This record gives sequence, C-alpha cells and structure tokens, in this order.
Amino acid sequence: MLVNLPGPWNPWLGRLALSEIPYTNPILAPLFVVVVVLVLLMVAGITYYGKWGYLWKEWLTTVDHKKLGIMYIILGLVMLFRGFIDGLMMRTQQAMAVGPHASGMMGAVHGYLTPFHFGQIYSAHGMIMILLAATPLLVGIMNIVIPLQIGARDMAYPYLNALGLWITAAAVVLVMASLFVGDFAHNGWFGYAPIFELAYSPGVGVDYWIWTFQLVALGTTLGSINFIATIVKMRAPGMKWLRLPMFTWASLSANIIALTSFPCLQVAIGLVAADRYLGTHFFTAGFGGNLMLYTNLFWLWGHPEVYFVILPAFGMISEIIPTFSEKPLFGYVTMVLATFAIAGVSWLVWLHHFFTMGMGPYVSTEFSVATMLVGIPTGVKVFNWAFTMYRGRLTYTAAMYWALGALFLLLVGGLTGMMLSIPAINYMVHNSVFVVAHFHMMLLCIVYAIFGSVIYWFPKVFGYTLNEAWGKTMFWLFSAGTALVFIPMFMEGFMGMTRRLDWPFDPHWAPYLDIQMLGILAYVLSILAFVVMLYVSIRDRAQHRAAADAWGTSRSLEWLTASPVPFYNFAVVPQVNARDEAAWRREHGLSAQRASHYDAIHMPNNTGNAIIIGGLTFVLGFALTWRIWWLSLISLLAIIAMMISHSAKGDPGHVIPAEEMERMDREAERAMPRADLPRHSGGVLGGAIAYDSGAAGAGSRNLRGAPDHRP
Amino acid sequence: MFTRKWQPLRWVRYVALAPLLLLLNGCATHSIWWIFDPHGVGAKASFDYMMIDVAVMLGIVGLTAIMIVWFMWRYHKGKNRGTYDGKWAHSTTIEVFVWGIPIVAVGFLSWVVAINGSFAVNPYNPTVITRHLKPHGDPIEVDVIATDWQWLFIYPQYHMAVANELVVPAHTPIFFKLTSTAVTTDFFVPQLLGMIDVMPGMRTKDALESDSIGRYQGVAANYCGAGTSWMLFKTRVVSKSEFASWVHHAQQSTGNLTVAGFNRFAEPYININNKVEYFSQVQKGLFNQVILEVMQGRKWPLPMFMTENMVGYLKKQAAEHRA
Ligand code: HEM
Ligand SMILES: [Cu+2]
Ligand SMILES: [Cu+2]
Repeated sequence: MLVNLPGPWNPWLGRLALSEIPYTNPILAPLFVVVVVLVLLMVAGITYYGKWGYLWKEWLTTVDHKKLGIMYIILGLVMLFRGFIDGLMMRTQQAMAVGPHASGMMGAVHGYLTPFHFGQIYSAHGMIMILLAATPLLVGIMNIVIPLQIGARDMAYPYLNALGLWITAAAVVLVMASLFVGDFAHNGWFGYAPIFELAYSPGVGVDYWIWTFQLVALGTTLGSINFIATIVKMRAPGMKWLRLPMFTWASLSANIIALTSFPCLQVAIGLVAADRYLGTHFFTAGFGGNLMLYTNLFWLWGHPEVYFVILPAFGMISEIIPTFSEKPLFGYVTMVLATFAIAGVSWLVWLHHFFTMGMGPYVSTEFSVATMLVGIPTGVKVFNWAFTMYRGRLTYTAAMYWALGALFLLLVGGLTGMMLSIPAINYMVHNSVFVVAHFHMMLLCIVYAIFGSVIYWFPKVFGYTLNEAWGKTMFWLFSAGTALVFIPMFMEGFMGMTRRLDWPFDPHWAPYLDIQMLGILAYVLSILAFVVMLYVSIRDRAQHRAAADAWGTSRSLEWLTASPVPFYNFAVVPQVNARDEAAWRREHGLSAQRASHYDAIHMPNNTGNAIIIGGLTFVLGFALTWRIWWLSLISLLAIIAMMISHSAKGDPGHVIPAEEMERMDREAERAMPRADLPRHSGGVLGGAIAYDSGAAGAGSRNLRGAPDHRP
Repeated sequence: MFTRKWQPLRWVRYVALAPLLLLLNGCATHSIWWIFDPHGVGAKASFDYMMIDVAVMLGIVGLTAIMIVWFMWRYHKGKNRGTYDGKWAHSTTIEVFVWGIPIVAVGFLSWVVAINGSFAVNPYNPTVITRHLKPHGDPIEVDVIATDWQWLFIYPQYHMAVANELVVPAHTPIFFKLTSTAVTTDFFVPQLLGMIDVMPGMRTKDALESDSIGRYQGVAANYCGAGTSWMLFKTRVVSKSEFASWVHHAQQSTGNLTVAGFNRFAEPYININNKVEYFSQVQKGLFNQVILEVMQGRKWPLPMFMTENMVGYLKKQAAEHRA
C-alpha cells in the first residue's frame, strides 16, 4: 500500500467489513429494508409474469436509440426523485436546527443530522442532480429526438450508445451503494481541496465520489462522440445545415462542449485519486502540492458542464414554443449563432466560481467581463422566443406551460447570474444561499424544459398523449414549490446566510426556512400529480391516440413518421425540402402523401455486451472504492477483453426485406387515428418501439403485444 | 384534445405567487438584511455596485418579462386580440435591437461595475480604503489563522492574540493577512467586508475599515468539515480609546502562544460554546512559521468517522480539551 490507510484493510475484502454497513442508523436501516423489499417485489413480479425474456431481448440488450433513450429517462427520473429526497432532508434539517436553542436528536446537537451526515447529503444531492438526473434526462431526450429530427435510422454507433447508458447506470448503482455500504463524500459535489485528501477525509466517501464521477464522465463522453458523429454524418438527404431543427443544433453545441470538457474533469478527479491511492501530492497543502490547481481544473470542466446541460434545454424550448405559437422560430440564424456563442464563451469564464481566491483585479475583471458576455447571446435567445410568440396563435398546452415557466426562471437566473459575475458583488454573496438559489433557477429551468419535452414528445414515442389537466396541475404545484423554496432562499442570501450550514445559527432565518418547508410539501404533491398523470394517461390511452403529427401544428421532421415511432424510424428516408419540413408539407398539402416504393433496410443487431461491460464497470468502481485490488484487476481485464472481442467480431446487422417494410408501414398507419388531425406522411409506418424492435433477429416480424398499447 | 375540462386543484396557481408577498416585508426591517445594511467601507461599496447592476438588469429583465406576458395575453389563440401572421419570422430591425440592447448593457456594466468595482474592493488593495490612508492614522495589522475549526487573530503590533473574537477600532484601516492550518475556508463578515479564501500553506490578504461602532457576525463561509457551522466569531468595532483598553486587557491575560502551544490549539476542535481565548504572549513570526510548516507537510489530521455521532464526539472533545 502506497498510502497510510487509517483503519483495517485485508487482501480479500479490502476496507470492506461488516461494520461498514450502517444497520444501526435509524434512517438508513429502514430505507435499506424498503429498497430490498421493492427490488424483491420487482423480481418476483417479472418472474411471475414471465417477462425476463422480454426484458432481456427488448430492453437490456437493445441498441435501439429510442429504447435506450427511454431507459436513460427512467434512470434520470429515479435519480431526480432520489436527489429530491436529499433536498427534503436538508431542508428539514435546517428548518429544525435553526437558532441556538433548537433541540437535537439522533446524535446531532441541533436537528436530526450530524454535520458529517449533512455533508454527505448535500454532496450527493448536487452530484446526483447535475450528473445523474439532469444529464441522463437530457441525454435520453437527445437520444430519442435527434435521429428522428435528422431522419436517421439510428445513432451512428448504436452499440456505443448502449455502452454509454450502462456505464451511466453503473455510476447510479455505485452512488446508491454508498447509501448502504460505507458512506459518501462530504466535500460538496465539486470537491474542495484539500479536504478530500486522505488526512481530512479518511473514509471511503471520497472514493465513491471519485469513481462515480469517473464513470459518468466516461459514459457521457462516449455519448457525446456518438451524438456529434450522428448529427454530422447521418442527416437525411436535403437536411442541410441551415435546415437543422433548433434542438439538434443545441445538442450539437452541447456535445461539443461535453467532448472537450469532460476529459478535463477526468484528469482533475484522476489526480485526486492519485493523491488518495498513490500518495502523490498534486493537491495537498504541503510537499509542493497546489490546491488551487484543483479548483481551476474542476471548474474548467464545471462551467462548460452547466452549459452542456442548459443548451439542450434551450433547444427544447425552441421546439415547443414555435409549435404552440403556430409560427416558425423567430431569427433562426441568430439563434444558431447565439447557441454557439454561448458554447464558445463558456470555456473562458471558469474563474467566476472562485473570485474570492484573490487573483487580483486584472484577472478578475477579465473573467467578469467574459462571464457577462454570456449574457448577450442568452438575452438574444429570450428575445427571440418572445418574438416567436409575437403575431402567433398561442395554445396553452401543458408542454407550453412548462416551456414558458422555464423562460421566466431563466430571466431570474440570468439576472442573478449577472450579479454574481461582478467580483465586487460576488465577494458579498459567494458561498451564500444566494448562489444556491441562482443555480437552482437555472437548473430548474432545465427541469421545466425537460418536463415540457417529456409531455411534448411522449405521443411520438408511445402513441398517445399525456393527460393535460394533470400535467397542468403538476405544473402549478411544482411552481408553487419553486417559488416557496427559492424566493425565501434568495432573501436569506441577502441576510448573509452562507450555504452548507447543518446548523443555521441565526434564529431570524427561521420563518424563511419554515416557508421553504411548505415549498417542499408542494413539490411532494407535484410528484403525486405526476404519478396520477401517468396513471390516468395510461388508463385513457385509447381516447388519446396520437396521429403522426400529435399536436397538429408541429414543425420538424420527427412528426412525419408514425406515432409511436416504429423501430426503424422511417420506412423510407424522407427527402427534406425545407427548414420546418412537417410544417412545409402541411402547408403544401403534402402531409397525406405516402411512399410508392420501399427498399430493404439494414438494422443493427442487439447485443448483451454493453450491459455486461456496464456491470463490470460497476464492479471495478466498487472494488477500487474499497481497495480490493484483485477484484479491480480482474474486472478491468474483463472489460478490456470484452471490448476487444466485441470490436473484433463486429456486427453484421440484419436486413428487413422491402415487402416486409411495406406491410409494417401500412399496419402502423392503420393503427393511427384518421379524423380531425392533419394526416402525416412521407410514407413511413410500422411497428412501434413500445412493443417490437425485431432487432433481435431478422425473422421475427410480428407485432407482439400490440393490444397492450393501442385502442 | 384541448377542451377545457375540470382541472384538478386549479387554485394552486395562486399559491405559486404567494411568496411574492414576502418581498413586501423585505424592506421594512433592517439589520437582519446584512447585505443591504453594510457598515464597512468595502461592504458599502459592494452594495452600491450591486444596486447599479440590479437597476440596469432589472430594467431589461423586467421589461422583457412584461413584454412576454403581454404577448402571451395578446396572441392567445381564439381570443382574437392580435393578428396572426404564421410566416413572420425575421426582422432585421428587431434583430439589431435584440443584439444591441444586451451588448450596450454588458458594455456599460463591464466598465462601470466590473472593472471599476474590481479595483475599488480588490481585497489586496481596496482603493476605497487605501486612497485616504493618511488622514486616519496608522493602520492596524491582523494576522488571521484558521484552524479546524477556530479562528485565531494575532495582532503583531501588540504582541497579543485572541481566538474566536475580532476587535477593531473604528475609522482605522485594518489589514489582514490570512492562512489556514488544515483545509480551505472563507473569512467573511457580511456587514463589514466580503469573502476571501483562507488556504493552508498560503497567504491571502484583505482589508477592512468601518465607521460604525457595533457588533457584527463573522463566519467561516466555506465548508471546511464538521465544525463549519460553529466556526463563528463576533466582530466588534469599537472607539479608538476602547480599543486601546481592550488591547491592554488582552495583554494582561495569562495565555501564551508558543509554537508548541499553537500546535495544541490547532488540534480539531468544534467551538460549540463560543469559547473566546486571549493570549498575551505570541511567539514572533508565528504566522509565517505556520505557513512554512504546512508547506513542509505538517498536518492536523481528523480522526476517522469524525462526527457521525456528534454528541458523543463533543463529549470526547470536552474531555480532551479540559484546559
Ligand atoms: C447569464 C448566464 C449566467 C451567468 C452570468 C452566471 C454566473 C454565475 C456565477 C458568477 C457563478 C459563481 C457564483 C459563486 O459561486 O460565487 C455561478 C454559479 C453557478 N451557476 Fe451560473 N451563470 C449563468 C448561467 C448559468 C447556467 C445556464 C447554469 C446551469 C444550468 C448555471 C449554473 C450554475 C451553477 C451550478 C453554479 C454554482 C455551482 C456551485 O457553486 O455549486 N449558471 N453562475
Ligand atoms: Cu439542489
Ligand atoms: Cu460558471
């Protein structure tokens, strides 16, 4: 061992021991029981209904970008919930503990969480929300929508796509494991040097944090390569650059950011790992280490990362608002320019996260001005959305509610961001809950855009629309939560309340913390509304069967193919004639036009490799966390072996003959409602992703399970 | 599909707006609004810059919000308030304004607030304080050492030190040098001066001047481990004569701080009882000595599982520190 580990270690189990399982903890132990029971119920259910084969064939081994996207979104929603529970616990702790006379319980002096436990919760909250909730949700939606918007059959590298998902899932499992085995980092989601060094964080918490970060970073980088390749190389004939839908543009810029910035994160975190595992001194205070270097390296990724998550959200808003305004997006070209301007400037501003480090007025000023420059294209975007609505015909659907909500949050976030970007102001509010409120405005803007797009694209993927009334109810409850939590939080920022206090010492803050608890209650209700929305929508799916163009006023290419989208996306790859192809065809009376000629198509085969490699990366992460060297080595070798063998084998794919395509196309068309909504077309129909991929082999073409999903 | 049916819980939309009422209460009281009630020269300057920035940004953001709401109302489908033009998607005039307004605003803010402000409250040499250095008499120096989790303020000019309380005279510039023994945190007195990082093995600087006698709360603004929330220090701005007698009082105390004494002081300690300690003798050059030792690898490591049970930990701490 190269470092002095405090505590026991043995060659077989590493640092793992029975005492690492917190079965005496009054919060974790019951939670653990609940999780175990849920998992057992799920396993029992799947076995009872004999769905293991279905699950394996249709989902776990799939390379279909829509199914992978759905799984990304489910993963993201689950983690959004987990992150929310963290938030709930933090708010409860602060509300209970405020002031010098607050009582304490369960080993805490005030409230019910000890500082160490509280630190773990907010660190997990931040990391989960940004990397394991927002990112998978966005990647999931990009996965589903991008190939459809550019008229591709799948992503450029379907197998890589699956690999990205399963590695991300491994990160999720790793972070969840930290709840029940050992503990998690307490150094904040971004990590402070040198508190994460072994001397100040002797447990395995920081190691969990390191390997979770590494896994998501890897998964996301793989994904970004795939998205860029897909957008550059897989566009349908006629889909020129300036005809690209705005969401695809936004995703392209976001993925360029991801591809160029994630390696920086991996290096930064890798050096932390070197310090903790090899005893190097990159970020220690002594022996020539430089802890400020860590902060720089981290935010050199960290700031681009926040734009990696917001740009796709901007893209979503740019799709939803035109559809429900019945007008093209205002100023398309400037919108593209603004998107890339934001992406470009985002590399040049990272120092604004630590103006207080004392870098001197010249350096501060440069980064301050650069940060404010981001405000220019952001402002342009807001104006352009406003002018998209100008002279429009606005329909207030639930999706539109969420998009407009995002717009207002962006205004508040932008205003406060422009305050934070000025050093003179930043010194007073940095590290205060004002900053926390600022970035929650921005991140909630993303969450709003995500909920909007889930509602917006749901009929495309599943073939029926979600319940509007419950969608709106959820919106208002969620917004009540947002207002009740974050308006008081901004105010506390002006009262000088700093962030990450497990004990808010000033009793004057109490009423504001109590109001935030009401907000949490509203959020809880909104989650219930979400569940009800799903239930009601699935129950009434027959009445809400969607046509190809589910909203009747949609604009981009994805609305030409059948709803739900068949596994091959487009039976005949459409010729693109205009920027908003669906709208263009509608205006020229071509919506009902159908293909007269079908060709055989070639689709990739499913593979179990991706999920196995994903599982092995989890084992690797877990083994490294606990310093079980033999297991780390074996899993690493296994991963490499599987990678090489898969690449050597290659994927011949399978061919679907032309007659088969024609038959499926007709079938899908018949399944869609005919009346009242404009007809689709371009000649594309077929089975639906919800119940058949057929990708398992060229033979099976039956629309298995169809009654489950159709009227 | 979009027929108006019963909407569950329609009234909740008003709840969403209710917190705005809080804003009404916002300006009535002061003193709890530390950022809006600055009493230090630096904090005041920051506050002024904030007001300029907010005024400009609120002008733009507020008008934009109003415009959006107006469009939302006017172009509501079926209400026939505005004319529909499904083709209109470009206007060079509007584009010029759309880019122009933010560019002008950012240009203005860059010069007036970003550049000027960065020099005015530059922690190493805040011109708001240094430009009238002479008339106020000799500045006072304070060396600040943050430990896990206490603050030590050394007054080298008076050869004394005090832990967890900062006392400074009014109308006098105070110059701080800061370092930390273990991890990074932030030195911050919300009503008096902005944050500055305090880092182990390194020295940062800050400055303070206040004309308002009073008591202010100082905090450790950056998470630095289990004791962060309790790492508080009262800051008293007192008259010059009172300061002189306070110094005299401190110099009479029995505590003395040698390097060995300091090493003991720097052991992890959660200051849960607001303990304030005085030291009449302070080893010369202690501040630099601490930086040097930390650079050479001196650590005050934390015990494993620091505070999973805090009450138990505090009992142990009390037993160890029965000094
Ligand atoms: C007009 C655009 C924006 C400006 C001018 C801006 C400015 C800033 C500044 C100066 C900080 C540092 C505050 C501090 O720690 O003292 C900050 C923090 C942050 N911003 Fe923004 N921001 C903008 C947009 C965004 C967007 C789009 C997002 C993400 C979706 C975002 C997310 C964050 C996050 C996550 C942090 C804090 C991270 C942390 O300390 O934990 N911001 N922003
Ligand atoms: Cu949060
Ligand atoms: Cu940033």
